[in-house]
Parts: sequence; C-alpha cells; structure tokens
Amino acid sequence: MCCSHNEEERVIPTEKTSEFFDIDAIKGMKFFDPHVHMTSRTTDDYQAMADAGIVALIEPSFWLGQPRTGSDSFKDYYSSLIGWERFRSSQFGIKHYCTIGLNSREANNEPLAEQVMEMLPLFIYKEGVVGIGEIGFDDQTAAEEKYYRLQLELAKEAGLPVQIHTPHRDKKRGTQRSMDIAIEHGLDPSMVIVDHNNEETVQEVLERGFWAAFTIYPFTKMGNERMVEVVKKYGAERIMVNSAADWGISDPLAVPKTAALMKLRGINNHDIELVTYTNAISAFGQSGQIDEQDFNAVVDQSLRFEGNSILRGGQQPRMDKSSIIIS
Amino acid sequence: MFNYDINSLKDQLSIIIMDNISADAFQWLKTHEINYQAGIFKGAFVQMPRKVGKTKITCSEDLSKQLKATRPGFTIDGWTTDRLCRVYLLISAAKNIPKDEYIHLIDDLISAAEMNEQVALYSALPVLPYPASWVSRCTEGIRSNIGSVLEAIMYQNPYPAEQLSEGAWNQMVLKAFFTDKQINEIQGLDERANKELARILADYAKERYAAGRSVDSMLWYLIGKFVDTPLLQAMKQGVFNKNVDF
Repeated sequence: MCCSHNEEERVIPTEKTSEFFDIDAIKGMKFFDPHVHMTSRTTDDYQAMADAGIVALIEPSFWLGQPRTGSDSFKDYYSSLIGWERFRSSQFGIKHYCTIGLNSREANNEPLAEQVMEMLPLFIYKEGVVGIGEIGFDDQTAAEEKYYRLQLELAKEAGLPVQIHTPHRDKKRGTQRSMDIAIEHGLDPSMVIVDHNNEETVQEVLERGFWAAFTIYPFTKMGNERMVEVVKKYGAERIMVNSAADWGISDPLAVPKTAALMKLRGINNHDIELVTYTNAISAFGQSGQIDEQDFNAVVDQSLRFEGNSILRGGQQPRMDKSSIIIS
Repeated sequence: MFNYDINSLKDQLSIIIMDNISADAFQWLKTHEINYQAGIFKGAFVQMPRKVGKTKITCSEDLSKQLKATRPGFTIDGWTTDRLCRVYLLISAAKNIPKDEYIHLIDDLISAAEMNEQVALYSALPVLPYPASWVSRCTEGIRSNIGSVLEAIMYQNPYPAEQLSEGAWNQMVLKAFFTDKQINEIQGLDERANKELARILADYAKERYAAGRSVDSMLWYLIGKFVDTPLLQAMKQGVFNKNVDF
C-alpha cells in the first residue's frame, strides 16, 4: 500500500492538481447517497447532485437543529419526507427514499417520545421507507437506550433494516454498545447499517457482520483521503460512503467526490461502485422498497412533443446560473 | 349514501382487479373488504403496493364503458393496481362503519398520506359515499404543489365540477393554467364556465403577456362566452402585449 501511494505521487505532479474536483473522472458513473438530509438543502444542491451522477438517495429522519415541542411536528416532518421532499427530489431526476425513526437526542424527552412511538407504525410501512433510522445513541442516556431498544423491536417486526447513528462523543464505546444491543434483540447484523464509522470503529463493525457506513463530512467526521485508505485496508465489502449533508457545513457531492478520489488513488472501478452505489442498495434494498428500474427516469429536457417542451415527470427547467439575466 | 349504484361499480371493479393482480393478492384484498377494524384497515391501505404491485391496469373497453355508465365521468384509464385497489378498499369500508367514523377515517388517511396515497385518495373522491363531505378536502388538495396529486384531482375526475363552490372551482382552473396542466383533461369546463373565471383568466393572460410569457390557448376558449366590450376591445387592440397577435 505504501509503495503504490508513492507511485501515485509520481503520476500526479502536484497536490494542487489532485485537489481539483474534475467531474470528468467519474463521468458515466452513477451514485447512491444513503444518508443525506435534503430538507435542509437547496435546489442548487439537487441540480449539482444530479449532474454529478447521483441517481438515488436516502434521507434519514433526524432532529431539526432544535428540539420539537409537540408530536404533530414529528408527524408533519415524517409526512414531508414521504411527500413534498420526495416530489422535490423527483423534479431533479433523483429517486428519494427515507428512513423513519425517533432520533436519539429527542428520545430524551420521554413524554414526547411516547407519542412518537405510537405514531411510527403509521409511517414505517409507507412506500419508499427503506428502514428505521437514524436511531441509536447520542449522550448514551437511559432514555436513549429505552427507545433504541423499542425501535429495534419495531424494525424486527416490520422486517426493515436499521440505520444506526453512532455518537460523536465516546464513539467507540457507543458503537460497541449499539451493536451489542442489536444482537441482544436478535437482529441479524446483515440488517443493520452502522453509520458514521471511523478508523477506530470499522474493524469491529465488519468483523461482527454489520454494514459499515462512513460519513464524508468536513472537519468533524471522515475526510475522503482517510476514506481511501480505509478502503485500501479493508476492501469494499459491506462498506459504503455517504455525505450526511445537512444544515451544517457539509458537502452533498461527498459521494461522487470520494469516488473520483478513489479512482485517482488507484482503487478499481468495481470496488468504487460497491462503496458508492451497490452496497447501499444491497443493504437498504432488504426492505423490498428499492427498485433500480425506478432510477432510470432519464431526463431529456430538450425533448419536444407536439411543439411543447416536455419536462418529464414534472422535471424542473434549467436556468443558466452564469448569466446575469434572470428570465 | 352513494350517488350511484355502488354494488354494480364494486362488481365491475372486482372483475378488473381480479384480472390485474394475483389470486393471493385478490384474496388478501377481499379479506380486508369484509372485516373492518380501523388499525388493520389503515395498514392494508398503506401496504397496498407491497401486496398488489404497481403495474398499469389493463381493462376491456366494454368494462370501461360499464364503469362510466354506472358512475358518469368516472374512469380508471392509466391507473396502477395499487391506486385502483386503494380506491376499491375505500369504497368498500363505507358499509362497515357509520358516517362520522368514515369521515374521520378518510381525514386520518389524508393527514399522513405519502404521494401515491394522496393520488389514490383524491382519485376516489367521485366514488366515495357522502359526496358533499369532501369539498374542503378537495379544496385543500388543490393547494398542493405536487404534480401527480394535482393531476389526480384535475384530470378525468368528475368530482370538482360536481361539488366545488364557484370560488374553489375557479381557483382549480386557474391553478391548472398556472402549473401548465392539460386543460382539456378537466371535466365540466363548459358547464362550470362563469364570468368571474373569465375575468380571472383574462387578468392572468394580461399578466403573462406583460412578463413576455405566453398562455395556453384553451384560456380563450373559457373566456369566449363572457367576452364583453372592454375585453373585446383589449383583445382587438392587443393591449395585453404589442407583440402578440390575437
């Protein structure tokens, strides 16, 4: 590994060149971002994601930056994930799926958590809901553990995959605990996607048979250079990358950018495809809700039918961002 | 309760459904038609695509005609199996529960509906019992910005023309123009044409022309009956926009 790294540095003359995101490097490839909070992103992001080859994504339900004060806010949020946001995404040719769950932070408001738990069965069987998520630990409190366990039972009953959020603080311990509890409840590790891994957690997650997801998120989570090294070390099996882009400084192109970097650093196309597309579909497709045929809604905005331009499937028209004229 | 012969319609729909889904799925649907329990019913409604699939319905011309004879204006052309079975389930539940409970059930389903469920619910409006009870729900649906939901209300659906107030009807037609819908798919355009709508549409056309944009020519068809002297003058002079020929 060390030698091939040197080899690459000879091929790529300067660091500057390798830092430029050349979209041509991944032209023709398609990507699946299995964790991205589109509700907090703009239409520019959708457009850029579609341009970079993202054909489908999963939006896990999570908290909204501040605590909700009533159960109806949860209901409206879940409804927006399966309704409005799904439609918004379709306008850019991206197939939108979601996972539904009570996030760990808000599990700490027990009276509210009880009401949300009552509501969940109404949503988890909806079309395009590919798992229970993101659930797990934040502060690792007793309340978090209680609702994590209840939701694991719900996932088991519904036959849905689980998307686990692992804590930012005391991560290694929290990750181990999340896996221990999942096993204790009789979940098959192949139905569980452990998210936000790093170099410290990945080995155990893979050894125990779980899916290992990595969030490429600047400053606080994984960088994609480190990600390349992880794939070189552990291979591509049961590993997937996501952007977890949200309202923080994050990058909705993290998946295609990581693919491009992997390519530049000599990882073969097959492995890149596994990590940035196929594995996520294999894992979340266990819900029975993902059909790759649905991704192929190819959008050709230049098509005309009886003189009228057709924006198929309610596609949004393109605007030329470089022009000073807005018409 | 129903403003048409529910038994005939159910028989006709049954035949079509049987032809389009597997025997197991049909059996499953029939079970939920007979035994009503709110939670189980809602679950069946939600899970419909998993049970009956989402393929396009095929239906003989003869049956299609029979449907229209039973419930004028009602058509299932272009529907998918999940949409049809959801509508079938909804009309079947009416005999099992009283009116109040039924209205509550529909409200509940709408409030948590994803896109395709919304499409099914609004497609069901013309065949639901207690027709007058759904006016505010239909009006609410017209406020949606989701294309497929609007189309379920606007296209080949006799309910809006039959039940909406003039104000709500006019809003729907204006919204159809505003969102580039196929106007000729709306039922009852001639019957519900009115002077206020003509004024709204003429204003809309002026606004569009002022912005250098065009309008669907169906707009003039709806205005035609109500053209008065000032409007005719305006059209003749092309004051809407000097570049546009009338």
